[in-house]
Amino acid sequence: MSSNGIPGPPPDGDVASVAAERGPLAMEAISLGKDFRLGRGAILHAVRDVSFNLYRGAATALVGESGSGKSTVARLLAGQERLTSGSVRLDGQPVDVSRSRAFRQYKSKVQLVFQDPFSSLNPVHTVSYHLERPVKLRQDKHSRQEVSQETAALLEQVRLTPPGQFLPKFPHELSGGQRQRVSFARALAARPEVLLADEPVSMLDVSIRLEMLSLLDDLRRRFRLALLYITHDIASARYFADEVLVMYAGQIVERGPAEEVTQHPAHPYTQLLVASAPDPDNLGSGLHAGSGAERRAENTGPAATGCPFSTRCPLADDRCRRDNPALQRVSATRAAACWRLDAAAPDVLAEPQGGGL
Amino acid sequence: MSTDHGAAVPPAGPHPRGAAEPVLAISDFSVVYRTPDGDVQAVNRVNLELYPGQVVGLVGESGSGKSTLAYGACRLLRAPALITNGNVRYRGRRSVAPMEILHVHADDLRRLRWREIAIVFQSAMNALNPVLNVRDQLVDVIHAHLRVSRQEARDKAGSLLEMVGIPRSRLRSYPHELSGGMRQRVMIAMALATEPEVVIMDEPTTALDVVVQRDILSQIVELKESLGFSILFITHDLSLLLELADRIAVMYAGQLLEFGTAREIQHEPAHPYTRGLLNSFPSLRGARRELAGIPGSPPDLHDPPSGCPFLPRCGYATQACADIDMRLLPVASSPDPAHVTACPFVLPGTPAPPGPAGSPAATSTGS
Repeated sequence: MSSNGIPGPPPDGDVASVAAERGPLAMEAISLGKDFRLGRGAILHAVRDVSFNLYRGAATALVGESGSGKSTVARLLAGQERLTSGSVRLDGQPVDVSRSRAFRQYKSKVQLVFQDPFSSLNPVHTVSYHLERPVKLRQDKHSRQEVSQETAALLEQVRLTPPGQFLPKFPHELSGGQRQRVSFARALAARPEVLLADEPVSMLDVSIRLEMLSLLDDLRRRFRLALLYITHDIASARYFADEVLVMYAGQIVERGPAEEVTQHPAHPYTQLLVASAPDPDNLGSGLHAGSGAERRAENTGPAATGCPFSTRCPLADDRCRRDNPALQRVSATRAAACWRLDAAAPDVLAEPQGGGL
Repeated sequence: MSTDHGAAVPPAGPHPRGAAEPVLAISDFSVVYRTPDGDVQAVNRVNLELYPGQVVGLVGESGSGKSTLAYGACRLLRAPALITNGNVRYRGRRSVAPMEILHVHADDLRRLRWREIAIVFQSAMNALNPVLNVRDQLVDVIHAHLRVSRQEARDKAGSLLEMVGIPRSRLRSYPHELSGGMRQRVMIAMALATEPEVVIMDEPTTALDVVVQRDILSQIVELKESLGFSILFITHDLSLLLELADRIAVMYAGQLLEFGTAREIQHEPAHPYTRGLLNSFPSLRGARRELAGIPGSPPDLHDPPSGCPFLPRCGYATQACADIDMRLLPVASSPDPAHVTACPFVLPGTPAPPGPAGSPAATSTGS
């Protein structure tokens, strides 16, 4: 795996991204790495050699369990954390966090939506305050009329209508779904190219989630946003993403078109993730028959050497425990990081190879 | 586990209605929250029965009153909550006579709680005491409810941890040294410490990853089968309940809208809200379906609408819905008289009309 971070060829060189069909390249994450010092000399490799591209108008899902590093990737891309290694490019330009003016521009092009709409809005300010600030700062609109027109338009875009009813409200007067809409509107106020949505619906009620994801989908199309949808819910990624990246212990272990990855997962971890999702068609049987004893895996964290999943993987052999596998091409649009793909996913490997790039 | 109370060991598995007395019967139960702006009708005339060995799932959105119902039934609510109506009857194998939970003396209530009915609270991070290790917290619970020596309590704490799949060596661990899943297991061990007959689980796995969630749920089912308790499982995740529960109660705006077996809820959902919920989950398996979701939001319970609370969001709504009496009636087309719904107008299988006046959240994803 290339770890030198030299800008140039697209980082996902060996497989084509289905997201590229949606629009031009917006953002490149090139071999991102992030270490956290834990004290006593211990280092946590939160993100290791993560590369992917985001394209205008396309949704890319980053799926993983808590602690897999998916939120850290979003924070790295948003410039909220310093990279330990690797680089980020926006519209072909390397991102320079040391020059404040360029970085401010970058921040308005790359917006982040957080998981918790209860803590991401300031409780002492109204909705209009939350929206006016980015409008003034990022769109450089200052006349009172322009600003109020723009904030009203933003609320209409996120379907908070009539806007006049919501502008004077404080966050505590809004439901969770309405608050998250305000967060979306605030992100849109900066006219972003890239929207990084970190678990945008997992705090919301189930009956509202779908509506919010549809809204996000609609905004992506309307504003040709390059959307990174970070989630632990692989089923929603199936419906709302073009491409899925599966992360485990800071690494991308599988990537490919959403439908293929969720229906025919190649990596053993993706297979476990898919098998663990609630399955309404499996009334009672799965849980009642399942003997949890063999599958109890949470006590064993990721392996320090070799494949991080080797401690939990039923197929792991000596090689898996010794060497960390790189992402390797499975088909024209899919890649997985696993030494035992022949055993894990013979059906995926058997598919015609699609004729290369 | 010893059953030194001479009670017959009940057959495992769900009891059909009428085959046994319910272990917990909530009837006509109402709770309001007294606020300066008037009462909020959090739970409104709910009837719910839990039979021995059964898993009853209570599903609803946040604010639907599902936790208020469960806590209220154990008299765990404090002012401004006020129980305005109803009965909660507990009949355990160990207790001689049925107990009216809402009327018993405080001493009896103390014996009832945890000993007979235990609760696994939602957020294990906040429910455990951060400055006590796991052993001391388990010992506390055991001492509070059972007369055993210090050493016996410590031994029991160790065996409880092993029962939920945590090695005994973690007894001295503090909560922050455990993963979220392990903390939740400790909470479950704590609830089972006194061999209760009813365990109320309030979103026990919501904060956990799917892999860990499945692991814990299958363990709960194993424990239930070996120890023979009944579970009232509260969650917002209907897809989870379909796999886990024997019967599912669907709650909305403080009322039960439908109650039936998991199979009935999945294959013959009667109430439009239940159907909406079923349609709100992106499915991982099978063909991609058109997802509809439920447009709109729940009513303000300060000022509940008359008639059906789901009316403004319902695609089937008619004029008559504003006047109906929200009573659970058997689903006309169902052979099971225990499959009940609050909607007398819509039968299972009635095709959905075109979306309601508002914009339906129908989505054609991925195109």
